[in-house]
Amino acid sequence: MAHDDHKPGFFKRWFMSTNHKDIGTLYIILSIIAAIIGGAMSWYIRLELMEPGIQYIDDFQFYNVLVTAHGFLMVFFVVMPAMIGGFGNWFVPLMIGAPDMAFPRLNNISFWLLAAALILLVIAGLTGGGPGTGWTVYPPLSSAEYHPGPAVDLGILSLHLAGASSILGAANFITTILNMRAPGMTIHRMPLFVWAILVTAFLLLLALPVLAGALTMLLTDRNFGTSFFIVEGGGDPLLWQHLFWFFGHPEVYIIILPAFGIISQIVSTFSKKPIFGYLGMAYAMCAIGVVGFVVWAHHMYMTGLDVDTRAYFTAATLVIAVPTGVKIFSWLATMWGGSIDFKTPMLYAFGFIWLFVVGGVTGVTLANAGMDTVFHDTYFVVAHFHYVMAIAAIFAMFGGFYYWIGKMCGRQYNEGLAKIQFWIFFIGVNVLFFPQHFSGMAGMPRRIPDYPDAYAGWNYVSSIGAFITMAGTFLFLWIAYRTVTSGEKIGANPWGEGATTLEWTVDSPAPFHTHEVLPDMTGKAPAE
Amino acid sequence: MVTTVTAGNLTVRNRRVGLMLALGVVAMVGLAYASVPLYQLFCQITGYGGTPKVGVVVEKATGAAAERVMTVMLDANVNKGLDWEFKPQVSKIKMPLGEETLAFYIARNLSDVAITGTATYNVTPFKAAEYVSKIECFCFTEQRLEAGEEMPMPVSFYIDPEIMNDPNTKDLENIVLSYTFFPSRKTASVETKDDNS
Amino acid sequence: MGDMLKRLSVFVLTLMAGAMVLGGEVMAQQYRSEPWQMGFQEPRSPSAERIFAFHDMLLVIEAAIVIFVLGIMTYIIVKFNSKANPTPSKTSHNTLLEVVWTIVPIIILVVIAVPSLKLLYFTDRTYDPELTIKVTGNQWYWTYEYPDNNDIEFDSVYVPDDELEEGQPRMLSVDSPLVLPVDTNIRILLASNDVIHNFAMPALGLKLDTTPGRANETWVSINDEGTYYGMCSELCGVNHGFMPVQIEAVSKEAFNEWLVSAEEEFGSNDSRSDEVVKFAAALGQ
Repeated sequence: MAHDDHKPGFFKRWFMSTNHKDIGTLYIILSIIAAIIGGAMSWYIRLELMEPGIQYIDDFQFYNVLVTAHGFLMVFFVVMPAMIGGFGNWFVPLMIGAPDMAFPRLNNISFWLLAAALILLVIAGLTGGGPGTGWTVYPPLSSAEYHPGPAVDLGILSLHLAGASSILGAANFITTILNMRAPGMTIHRMPLFVWAILVTAFLLLLALPVLAGALTMLLTDRNFGTSFFIVEGGGDPLLWQHLFWFFGHPEVYIIILPAFGIISQIVSTFSKKPIFGYLGMAYAMCAIGVVGFVVWAHHMYMTGLDVDTRAYFTAATLVIAVPTGVKIFSWLATMWGGSIDFKTPMLYAFGFIWLFVVGGVTGVTLANAGMDTVFHDTYFVVAHFHYVMAIAAIFAMFGGFYYWIGKMCGRQYNEGLAKIQFWIFFIGVNVLFFPQHFSGMAGMPRRIPDYPDAYAGWNYVSSIGAFITMAGTFLFLWIAYRTVTSGEKIGANPWGEGATTLEWTVDSPAPFHTHEVLPDMTGKAPAE
Repeated sequence: MVTTVTAGNLTVRNRRVGLMLALGVVAMVGLAYASVPLYQLFCQITGYGGTPKVGVVVEKATGAAAERVMTVMLDANVNKGLDWEFKPQVSKIKMPLGEETLAFYIARNLSDVAITGTATYNVTPFKAAEYVSKIECFCFTEQRLEAGEEMPMPVSFYIDPEIMNDPNTKDLENIVLSYTFFPSRKTASVETKDDNS
Repeated sequence: MGDMLKRLSVFVLTLMAGAMVLGGEVMAQQYRSEPWQMGFQEPRSPSAERIFAFHDMLLVIEAAIVIFVLGIMTYIIVKFNSKANPTPSKTSHNTLLEVVWTIVPIIILVVIAVPSLKLLYFTDRTYDPELTIKVTGNQWYWTYEYPDNNDIEFDSVYVPDDELEEGQPRMLSVDSPLVLPVDTNIRILLASNDVIHNFAMPALGLKLDTTPGRANETWVSINDEGTYYGMCSELCGVNHGFMPVQIEAVSKEAFNEWLVSAEEEFGSNDSRSDEVVKFAAALGQ
């Protein structure tokens, strides 16, 4: 116990780390770096799209590379590392009362694989013309014939490394959660964030190997003469789309489930109430995970699927609205009757629910195959998935950051500045993405560097929103910097009676080693 | 010490779970690869994606089906990588259900070297594909044309009278049989010297 | 903005490389999106009409859901903030409530699914086609064929900004548009010569991928004469943004007149030698 804070030297601590908190911190730093690059790409795209005509990006391959890289970065190197690698590593062991992850050295490998993947992706973007395939990498556009040169190969290798990193991380989380819970911390007492990470880890474990397999096939098609997806060799480009979306649809739940977990913790804490319908919440996440594997072809309505197949996928996709509805209503019911402190994390939770409901109902629209002829590949889809997945996830990440930063660094953020940051960001993203519903319904396709003059109005508004969002992002970076360097020091539990989970029982910042004597949860009330 | 004993057990238990998860990962990679032949098989059995059946002989039509005449449009495509002309002899044929019918495409090599091509095919509407059975087809093998050579490409096929018992296709009177010729990827498609292909 | 809103321009159909002789100038309505448009373009095909009607119903349901949730959130903010309600309740279960909020969404989804599937089967169905056209995607232009009409075949290429003529909208105009008759069930076959493209026309509710090595089929019937504009809707490489779809919908009579001139201009000069045709015919017997 006396050597609680005995830390190794700088190099050993940060480069050979086996400590779940240090690795979590590394993941968060990587996520912030990738977010700045991916964000800069999106602002550059919005700058080009602010007015009709070509202003800044006259190399359209470069435009396609920006669109592609923005997607890859945000999905694989911003949201996943922050939510799963960052908050997951930091708080899963703390919340279940475990001293560390099950495989600490594997944890270290996971992180450095991801760092290598990020470097490879950047190299891929700078090689030759870069990969201008979209993040979906559909052949034949991604085949050697239409994307010669090493850029796409490097991109594939980058995704392989990122995938391997996530698979190892997922195995680590599952083992930790199944085997290393403190006495009395039964499955049905785990905080919902831990539930979310558990379900997410299973999705990763089942979905990513399929992507890895498909990517390997694409790689051998490109370089070694196989014909998995090459028509003239007897392959089928649509097989890629099936495999990609078999991974890709669970992937969007991989992104949003940890967000559900974070929001649940925040809502319960600041309402000073236990989660309403805890079991329903946990099993809704399991249901979302399971259904997520049988709806993939709703991304492929316009590829020429026969009508019965589309009918099935329409029905299956609509079903997702039920468990997600349960989650929304349970959050509202948790707040109902509460005594709510509107601290910044809670504002982000409210913002999350708004974004998720708007993105959710447009998801119901898009589920209908019969209507996809007017929606597929338009800005309506862009608006939908940014609302429901991308920005919603970012809101959960900001919320989680403000919620837990005190625990992570022992210093609290500036509440006033953080609230301003929330409002700037909230207004920014809505001004940015809401008008895209209009452009999309009017018929504007995605992934184009210029557009017909009629779309100029809403695109201008959208770009203004992007610049407001940019201001919000920089303000966040400033707040984060000030918090870490000179924030007010806080005690173990800054949030009071609502914060009932185990991470609030250890000091702030959490000592290097925690829960070396396992907390006994026997006979305690259920989590939350 | 109690904790040491627990830690020892824990390592074993962790390894066991880790191993099971690793097996799950391997199984999923295997599934991705297995999906390649399974997908092809699935398409062939169910006619999924407009894949017609091969070599299935069907009953002659009776009753109402005997009077149904199906108009089959013959569609031809040549990939831009292949310097061939490829057209149906006639663009539409009318055929009774359940009777083997022979149709012809004509291919001509426009280049001055021998080229081997291979054709993909499908039927639209996709729902009709499972009732279309090919007996013989130029698309079953690679086709080699000498420089400037012109060759008829025959296909003989049936339409299963069962098509009239499927609610998706019972009113159908027009289907399309589509082919696309590509340069062969298996055989070096462009050859300068003669060989026996 | 006003003059751009409803631009009724005199559209000279000599655009079609001088192939079309319709007795001089024709007034043609242009169907495309307008500045600050917030919804769909006017539907101008039976499929599009049904799609848009279904969406109107759906939008009401969805708006009601969003307003309902916003209402609850507002009530919570007002009533259950820590000043208004210093002591939180400890309620965390209500089985009836949980059953209700599971069942009610299911009912709403069934209400949506039934018309949705009806719509799907309608838009999929190819009625007895009176005309078949074939669309082939290329990097980065479309090839249109009329296999029923002596294999008329021509390419339809984007008109760059500096070559636009009076009345041609930027980013949407092509040198030779697809000419189609109105009030005709048209079967559309789609193929691709290289990568995956997507043939799309918003006002007609028309959209489908063109995939190399396979034919896709869809159909359309156009209600109104005029010029329709759409764009390629699947990322197909560098110039993906610059392969618009332009459809010239004309009366059946005008279409037949156009066919005559187009057959001269674009029809196939039969290159098959008689000998092979005879050989093929002999094999057929």
